[in-house]
Amino acid sequence: MRKDEAIRLVLERFPFSYVISTCGHISRDLYNIKDRSEHFYMVGSMGIAAPVALGLAVTNPEKQILILDGDGSFLMNLGAAAMIGEQKPSNLVHVVLDNGMHESTGGQRTIGMDGMTTAVLSMGYKHGVKIESHLDWQQALPPEGPLLVHIKIDPRTEKIGKRVEWTPQEILSRFSVALKGGEHEYSSH
Amino acid sequence: MNQPIVRTMSEVILSVLKENGYRHFTGVPCSLLKGLFSLLEQDENSQVRYIPAVREDSAVGVASGFVISGHKSAVLMQNSGLGYSLNVLTSFNMIYDLPILLIVSWRGAYGNDAVEHDIIGARLTHLLDAVEIPHIELTENQPEQALLEAVGLIEATSRPVALLIKDEI
Repeated sequence: MRKDEAIRLVLERFPFSYVISTCGHISRDLYNIKDRSEHFYMVGSMGIAAPVALGLAVTNPEKQILILDGDGSFLMNLGAAAMIGEQKPSNLVHVVLDNGMHESTGGQRTIGMDGMTTAVLSMGYKHGVKIESHLDWQQALPPEGPLLVHIKIDPRTEKIGKRVEWTPQEILSRFSVALKGGEHEYSSH
Repeated sequence: MNQPIVRTMSEVILSVLKENGYRHFTGVPCSLLKGLFSLLEQDENSQVRYIPAVREDSAVGVASGFVISGHKSAVLMQNSGLGYSLNVLTSFNMIYDLPILLIVSWRGAYGNDAVEHDIIGARLTHLLDAVEIPHIELTENQPEQALLEAVGLIEATSRPVALLIKDEI
């Protein structure tokens, strides 16, 4: 699966989610594919999208919070996964786009995501699902979180799109307004 | 005759913070802060939310999530954890204007602590100055004043502020 396809499919599957995207190419790709106030683009702090999302999830139990992580940023902070597993917010979906590399810095290999869909269950996630193809994506995903969705994606072949043009303060302010507005109450998918 | 109510320093700190809207806490323990952690762990009495963190930078992340949701938040840590937190503070909180109160125990402040605290202990305020994080020392004589100054500065600047504590509370 291509990365842009994976991001589009995730947005279609979780249309009412508030998305926290990790730094580097993933925030840029999300921004270029679809820009919504409900997207919180992190531009730095690799590995910290997950704890930010955890803080959001436990304080907004009626909203669906979705982490758009990469394999590098997920592996950088496995401790955050342990914290999520301990708190068990049922409204949290943790998507990891896994291309096996640190793409934003030139394609250096990561240590790999093998076994993580079961490892997170040991840490307290409710479900872990691995998606390796479009066919895998056809299945229904479990409605209750914390849910890890590990999606294998192909290396990028096209050029990266532009950087996020919103300032960090603008990202925060429009996201906060969207969160407060509460028009995106979710029901189980 | 009424007995005077003697409150511990930790009780004073938590009560001032609660009066000022701080009910969301996270952090990584330090022995100097164990009194405050103990109060936070009895959350049914203290009416606060407390999430234990595995590392200080993750704690700063969780607290930032609280702040984005509109809740004033504090992170408790030892000064050793400030090192782990510098990236998230500078590349996240300080550029998005996400203020959190850092309650930082100052191991090594007196120069006679365990050896692992020597270097960071001697340079803690220089380190905070270098990244322009304001710091206020909380002492036994004026805890309320230090706390009010810190929360006031956070309101005024929307930036993280560090409250430094040298002695066990």
